[in-house]
Amino acid sequence: MKLIDALAVARRPVAENASLLRAFLACGFTPLHLETFLVAALSDRSPMERVEVATGLFGDLAGNIERISAEDHDVLVAIIEWQDLDARLGIRSLGGWRAEELPDIVKSAERMMGRLEKAIVSAADLLPTYISLPTLALPPLFATPSQQTSSYELQLRLCVNRFAAALATHPRIRITSTQRLDEMSPLATRFDIQSELSAGFPYHLAHASAMAELLAALIRDSGPKKGLITDLDDTLWSGILGENGVDGISWHLDQQTHVHGLYQQFLASLASAGVLTAVASKNDPALVERAFEREDLLIRKKSLYPIDAHWGPKSESVRRIVKTWNIAADAVIFIDDSPMELAEVKAAFPEMECLLFPKSAPQAFWQLLRRLRDLFGKSIVSEEDSIRLQSIRAAASLPDSSNGDSTSLDSFLQEARASVVFTFGKQKDDRRAFELINKTNQFNLNGKRLNEASWATYLDDPTSFLMTASYEDKYGPLGKIAVLLGHLQGTAATIDYWVMSCRAFSRRIEQQSLSWLFEKFHLRELHFDYQQTDRNKPIYDFLSGIAGTPLTGDIRVSMSSFFEKCPPLFHQIKAAVNG
Amino acid sequence: MDNLEHRLVRCFSSVFPSLNEDQIRNASVDSVPDWHSLASVTLISVVQEEFGVQVGLMDLPNLVSFSAVQNYVQHHVAT
Repeated sequence: MKLIDALAVARRPVAENASLLRAFLACGFTPLHLETFLVAALSDRSPMERVEVATGLFGDLAGNIERISAEDHDVLVAIIEWQDLDARLGIRSLGGWRAEELPDIVKSAERMMGRLEKAIVSAADLLPTYISLPTLALPPLFATPSQQTSSYELQLRLCVNRFAAALATHPRIRITSTQRLDEMSPLATRFDIQSELSAGFPYHLAHASAMAELLAALIRDSGPKKGLITDLDDTLWSGILGENGVDGISWHLDQQTHVHGLYQQFLASLASAGVLTAVASKNDPALVERAFEREDLLIRKKSLYPIDAHWGPKSESVRRIVKTWNIAADAVIFIDDSPMELAEVKAAFPEMECLLFPKSAPQAFWQLLRRLRDLFGKSIVSEEDSIRLQSIRAAASLPDSSNGDSTSLDSFLQEARASVVFTFGKQKDDRRAFELINKTNQFNLNGKRLNEASWATYLDDPTSFLMTASYEDKYGPLGKIAVLLGHLQGTAATIDYWVMSCRAFSRRIEQQSLSWLFEKFHLRELHFDYQQTDRNKPIYDFLSGIAGTPLTGDIRVSMSSFFEKCPPLFHQIKAAVNG
Repeated sequence: MDNLEHRLVRCFSSVFPSLNEDQIRNASVDSVPDWHSLASVTLISVVQEEFGVQVGLMDLPNLVSFSAVQNYVQHHVAT
């Protein structure tokens, strides 16, 4: 983005009732155009949001971070450059570059990194924190020629890497990728010495723009896709199964088909991180079954579910798979080597991203892998991620309660040996609960989302409560699948947020949750802040069932009316309190 | 208004959005209260990026009006 455009975007009017994002940009230099670019990049990503960026004092990065207050800001963005670690690593100070001073520069930088680490961890306990590590080249202060790395330079870089590796384990700290920035902004064109000398701003505009784009992408992450549907022939493997046979398909270096092996390895990696992976293939199902018995496949059959092989249109398979997964089509990527198949699926699911598998173009294949990593990338792989596919498989064996056959569901649930763990407490670092509130669409009381700041504020309210539910039955664990946030007012409670993963449907966990709430807090009435959204019909159906009336904004359900309508519940209940 | 002048007006407008075109053409450090040091740095950066010129440190103090910036750009922009 050019500066002139960034200024225009930063001044673009937003609605008066727009939500506000208050970022604190901590840096040791004059923030100048980086501030403008950051406002513009964030505004571009969230046009309905008003963005305010505050800055601190010149030359005091650590102090700026140490002074941050969660009351005034929603996120912290800290930009570290070499001169913040020791002023002699910049050019505005003339502290000396003599050879005998180099060990002291390294020691002093180490000390500053210790101080910064402490300050950043304290800040991250208060609010989400985004860090940019030094992006500029070190000045020519070492005795070595530029083609040789100095041991002092290596010590400095080691120190920065240790510092970053320690911070990256914190759940609320995100560090920008230096590799990605290298691709966006060549190292040799980053430093603007004239601007640094005249205004204390060290970046060329293009570099400042690239940094802002990268930070905005991290701060306003659009959220990962959930599922990937892949073709088989000339995609998951090279060759046509029906023509070449089980032993004729390949994915190895010696057959020049290695990209298919890499693709299998990549899909296995996605599956292990909780991405749903399935197969849509025009093939003989029995032959596909045999192909998946090959021991040298890099992705196991159990990681792919469902495997839908037949001779009908691919869109039919995709429709069945999406229904089995119970997720929206726009959360799914479809991959095939045939442009015709891609077009057919795209016509049936315009909201689905359909990507070509470039079987004969290794460079394009490499770009595909990188694109997929971006589409499915997530900061933390949770326990729930690792059991997602297993629980969907288990759900497929559930009887369909929507056909009104409650007797078969009763007997199924009775046999399921289900247990529910309800957790009461107000742990702000419960990332899974926070994630469920912000990504669940179908069983969602009102579609309202919470940012980190409003989540913390909500939990700080003494009348508020947070209840989570984790579920397990003989088919396996589902992990933490429901979150309920509300306020207590005497013998009534108002439910402000209630979400449940679609994987947990048809197990009567929603009824058990309310039953447990009534019991736990000795309530006589529950109020629900219900609002219709484009996708929350499942909760509408549930609530209209227990309310017994058409739904309006504020739904009230008495204890007696709830238990009158509540079907039999068979779960074993364990309650835990933390926080 | 020639193309260079039009582009320069756009640069000024991005930094001083409250000024109309006439005010921009007559703008100077003395006549525009918002033309402080930070605005100067931003304006020169926008102009450098728009016209692909590098304003020298010694020239900066002289660029105190629209016409001064216009003259500078006319003399330094590659034609």
